[in-house]
Amino acid sequence: MTANRISVGRSVGVGLGLALCLVAPAAAQDPPPLSVRPFVMATEQSFAATDTFDAAFGKTYFPFFGGGVQVVINDGFFVELSASRFRQTGERAYLSGGKAFKLGIPLTATITPFEISGGYRFRLRQLPRVRPYAAIGAGSYAYQETSDFAQAGEDVDTKHTGYLVNGGAEFRLHTWFGVAIDVQYSQVKGILGGGGVSQQAGESDLGGVAARLKLVVGR
Amino acid sequence: MAVTGGLVLTLRGQAPDDSRLQVLQNVGLPAVDEGLIEGVRRVAALQDRAAASGGRSLAGRVIVKFRDEAAMPARRAAVRAASGTGEIAERPSYADFDIVRIDPSEDAEEAASVLRQRPEVQYAQVSHRVHALLVPNDPLYLTQQWNLPLINMEKAWDIQPQAGSAITVAVIDTGMAYQNATLTATLGAFRDRNGRLYPALGKVTIPYSAAPQLVAPTGASRIVAPHDFVNETATPFDFEGHGTHVSGTIGQLTNDSIGTAGVAFNVKLMPVKVLASEWDLLFAGFTNISNTGGSDDDVSRGIRYAADNGAKILNMSLGSSGPPDCAAKPNQVDCSPVIEAAMRYAVGKGCFIVVAGGNEFEDTVAPYGKNPTSVIAEIASRIPGVVSVAAVDRSKGHAHYSSTGSYIELSAPGGSELDPGSTGFIRQQTFDFNFTDTFLAPPAQFRAPRFDIFGYIGYIGTSMAAPHVAGVAAMLMQQGITDPAVIEEILEKTAVDLGPPGRDNTFGFGLVDARAALRGLGLAK
Repeated sequence: MTANRISVGRSVGVGLGLALCLVAPAAAQDPPPLSVRPFVMATEQSFAATDTFDAAFGKTYFPFFGGGVQVVINDGFFVELSASRFRQTGERAYLSGGKAFKLGIPLTATITPFEISGGYRFRLRQLPRVRPYAAIGAGSYAYQETSDFAQAGEDVDTKHTGYLVNGGAEFRLHTWFGVAIDVQYSQVKGILGGGGVSQQAGESDLGGVAARLKLVVGR
Repeated sequence: MAVTGGLVLTLRGQAPDDSRLQVLQNVGLPAVDEGLIEGVRRVAALQDRAAASGGRSLAGRVIVKFRDEAAMPARRAAVRAASGTGEIAERPSYADFDIVRIDPSEDAEEAASVLRQRPEVQYAQVSHRVHALLVPNDPLYLTQQWNLPLINMEKAWDIQPQAGSAITVAVIDTGMAYQNATLTATLGAFRDRNGRLYPALGKVTIPYSAAPQLVAPTGASRIVAPHDFVNETATPFDFEGHGTHVSGTIGQLTNDSIGTAGVAFNVKLMPVKVLASEWDLLFAGFTNISNTGGSDDDVSRGIRYAADNGAKILNMSLGSSGPPDCAAKPNQVDCSPVIEAAMRYAVGKGCFIVVAGGNEFEDTVAPYGKNPTSVIAEIASRIPGVVSVAAVDRSKGHAHYSSTGSYIELSAPGGSELDPGSTGFIRQQTFDFNFTDTFLAPPAQFRAPRFDIFGYIGYIGTSMAAPHVAGVAAMLMQQGITDPAVIEEILEKTAVDLGPPGRDNTFGFGLVDARAALRGLGLAK
């Protein structure tokens, strides 16, 4: 997983560097001074807590679905608010010697991130329909974990703050529609690592690296 | 109150000759169940199980029965009024109601409450979690068996109602009352441990019955590959009662309104006899009865036999005393490398082994002094997948006899006679020793034994503690954990810590917790 994360990070870095080299002054298309752009979003996240998610669910990458709104100022700076949701049912388990041992007892985890980020949309002189962007932000990550045969206080319902950085590009398909693809890295501490399989695995980050696809409405 | 042995038996060499004992298998009258032997005080009934488990419901759904006359648009409007995310799911089979899916973060009870107010709705309710709430109806369970709630068995049975049905547990012990038979033997004169001379009885006929709460009349298939290494037969009859009692703790028939309950009450049982009782010696023609017990070679053969014949859990409620450093010097006097080799063989074949931790905390054994090392338990502590078990009393305190040392890994109920009245014993069905231990009577009153009269007898000892762990291990294996070392790791990590924080020499990692072990871990908790 560590190798994957480094690889993705390098790719993002190279992409952003290339984009920065190609930035150009604002195109003369009279962009509105303030643009409000709703979007829907599907993401595929590779969780940092690989052993934990693999033990319970048998794999480490899962989709989130959600949406949000971007407010773009003078076609450059933007603020983005989004909400999404992950829900998966697996099994309670043990970890021993790096191997997962499942117990056949259903467990359902739900993650609901509410994220806010701010960034900048760049212009490519020779590719006016492509708008690279980069952003940083923070989020509130609600986490629920329920499982069969739980007694009072044994299920988990908590919320913690996390941090994120993302970068990608928006492809304008039409004056009013665009598709954005980016990669987001998030780090969410305080939920995992205090107990359960995550404690056995020594993993405390509920975040990870996500590939996000957004369908954006608006100029 | 008279209490039979129930103690770890010492291993001594035997030279049996069973030529005097004739066995007519499956011939005999049904057993006599005398019920509870000895008067006991009743204890308060257990707490209300429903209250303890709490009312709980599934998130993300509400069960709704719409009125027939309500059209679909009206039904959808009702759902929207109750939940912003609510949707009527496709109706499941065998249902005259609908499931309304809502966001799991929404309050399902509140949504149901709103729906109940709607004219389109006949009824609406949250979907309660429902699962077995097994409190065995065996009458002595509630009044006598403090030991099973102490290790959280009721909630473990909720998780796994099958209670180990796919697993075979070998009971390496004095045998088992698993079959009806009529025995004929020629009993010669003999001397007891005190040198008293008992008269010859000549040829006698001895009734023998399966313990009715261990083997139901139609439950013969429960017994797997029985074997007797003391007498070298395939009929390991228990003439002592210890192995039958231990087997009851592991797998006594449960929830049948009779007697007591067992831990993994559906397991298959493999009786492997390696320990001789007084009657084994007398039937074989010995003229004194002091050399009861077993031998290292029989025990090691029993372990290998069990491993080779399908047993996955081996219970060894036996032990011997020896030096504390057998790990470093395995060839010194009183060490048992042959048993260690057999244990490693069995673990290599996927068997989890439970060993009694020893009953000599208060005893002095020359030349090892007080609280000597229990050699087989010490071996257990060095093999991942083999666990040594100390005993606690009903208040989770150190049972006064339970050996202590660095080799103790887990604790389980072993009972104590020091509790008020007779409330501190571990009770299971076994022989009424008044009819079996006739060699304890004065010589003039000596008579042939009867092995067909049973009662619920109180025993104490780490012999009684070990089978609790064996039963839980069987259930854990049925739950899908098949690696012996992982089973040990789980049992230790989920144990309730007793004594000083962390592992200690009295309780090991603590009291086994069946529910915690079977339920496993979530992601965050």
